[in-house]
Amino acid sequence: MPCPCLHSALKRQSGLMIPGNKNTRDGLLFSLPFLIVFSVFMLYPLGFGLVISFFKWGILGDVQFVGLNNYISLFKDDKFYSSLWHTFEFVLITTPALLVLGFLFALIVTSRSRLKKTAENVFFIPYIFSMTVVSTLWAWIMQKQYGLLNQIVMAFGGKEIGWLTDPKWAMISVSVATLWWTAGFNMILMSAGIKQISPEVYESASIDGASYLQGVFKITIPLLKPTIVLCLILQVIASFNVFGQVYVMTGGGPYGMTRVLIQYIYETGFKYFKMGYSAAMSYILFFIIMAASVIQYIALGRSKE
Amino acid sequence: MRKARNNSLISEALLGLLLLAWLFPFVWMVFTSLKLENDVVSKTFSFFPRNATLANYTKAFKSTYILRWMLNSFITSASCMILTLAVDAPIAYAFAKIKFPGRNMLFWVIMAGMMVPFQVLIIPLYLQFNSYGLINHLVTVYLPRLALPIGVFILKQFFEGIPDALEEAAFMDGATRLRIFIGIIIPLGTSALATVTILSFINCWNDFLWPLIAMNDTERYTITVGIANFQGTHGTQYSLIMAGAVIASIPQFIFYVIFRKKIIAGIAMTGIKG
Repeated sequence: MPCPCLHSALKRQSGLMIPGNKNTRDGLLFSLPFLIVFSVFMLYPLGFGLVISFFKWGILGDVQFVGLNNYISLFKDDKFYSSLWHTFEFVLITTPALLVLGFLFALIVTSRSRLKKTAENVFFIPYIFSMTVVSTLWAWIMQKQYGLLNQIVMAFGGKEIGWLTDPKWAMISVSVATLWWTAGFNMILMSAGIKQISPEVYESASIDGASYLQGVFKITIPLLKPTIVLCLILQVIASFNVFGQVYVMTGGGPYGMTRVLIQYIYETGFKYFKMGYSAAMSYILFFIIMAASVIQYIALGRSKE
Repeated sequence: MRKARNNSLISEALLGLLLLAWLFPFVWMVFTSLKLENDVVSKTFSFFPRNATLANYTKAFKSTYILRWMLNSFITSASCMILTLAVDAPIAYAFAKIKFPGRNMLFWVIMAGMMVPFQVLIIPLYLQFNSYGLINHLVTVYLPRLALPIGVFILKQFFEGIPDALEEAAFMDGATRLRIFIGIIIPLGTSALATVTILSFINCWNDFLWPLIAMNDTERYTITVGIANFQGTHGTQYSLIMAGAVIASIPQFIFYVIFRKKIIAGIAMTGIKG
């Protein structure tokens, strides 16, 4: 159902309408299918989830109001902190790496290189494949005894490394697979931005004797700033929501060293059936993502004008 | 002059190497899938498949539900994209062309919906679908994915570009809104509609967490969940797992080859809104 404020707004204005003009009715009718789906599968669960987070809620309908207890015990839960930290770790590793790589790839595909079309395809194509395919593939490449990566390491005389089983490496390995998978997405966004910069700017700069690198730092990056900010915000949101790669590649191991927050939310809710506790955690994550987006937007977006 | 040319040759060669390296994991996936399991987990490393075989593929088809999973993914993704259009296009048209009270506010409410991470919804959605008795049904996979705010945004932008004069002329001839929408707006909007269709398809096909939760029986899995499940049940049979990964990738690869331009344009469009 559409939100109630709309109803009152409609009543207020409909008197002003010219007879025979059915704008209000039509506008509402055309919006209705979307609004129904949006309300039932988005607004309602969003509110319902918040309600659940104040209850002790088991799967068999054993429901008990506990007020803020879920939130309170959450802040005493070591597993919550460690999972949150692993998520942060993933965000901190992947965000800068993906932005820089996406930007470099965007420079390549907007350059004069004869390979630029091929490059666009090659860099982008991993993104098309589903996360599970990419994760199983990299889990195999990074497998300790027979994986390709360690075969290369050993060919150069090194010792085999437990890419996914050594706590030192596991999160980095998952990040590398993610990098390979999604760098192409940022590349597309950034190259679309670069293509909007007028070539004349570069021409006049090169007449003035500017080098290629000066062009990149003095022209491309400043003019691309709105796109970079957008990429940054989208990337941080995406990285905070990490789950699948970790779930498939390491299962959260070794010793829970890569268990990310969404995995903990999933396990709490669907393995231990503590739905209320799980919902409370998902709201904390939601809050963190919102806060991170708003902070980035205010800090970086303002200078756009 | 010559030096500049040499430099560009060197950089082209380096780029070529980088591209080969970037593609290499795919090559490795295919090579592994063609090997015998014994060759894969042997102490003597072999790069090329020495005894190339399709055994892993026949095994994947015969002893797993892989075809079923693909079918499930296909059914859910196709339903998802058709229904997404059916709900997104009319409201985008209303936002673009019909002046009704509350329009702007409603638009921003929906755009704010883009900020909500799907993960926040999984617990309430699960309880919701459980109470409908729909857990383990394929509709459950795509119903929560239908309202696609970015799709509304893209379509609205596009519909706004269609001249009002076209609609006015049709109004004069006594056409109704619905006829204008179907007869004028939809045919003129095909390219934007195609973009949204593709985004919605990719969105649904790659969905993982929700089908993982909502589907209990192995034969109801979508391909993404199925392949992840492969890892669990066939743990060390790497050549079989890679054969499964190759099979799972074929539809997406074909999809990419056909719709390359649209996919890239669609993603670029999500960026230009900024």
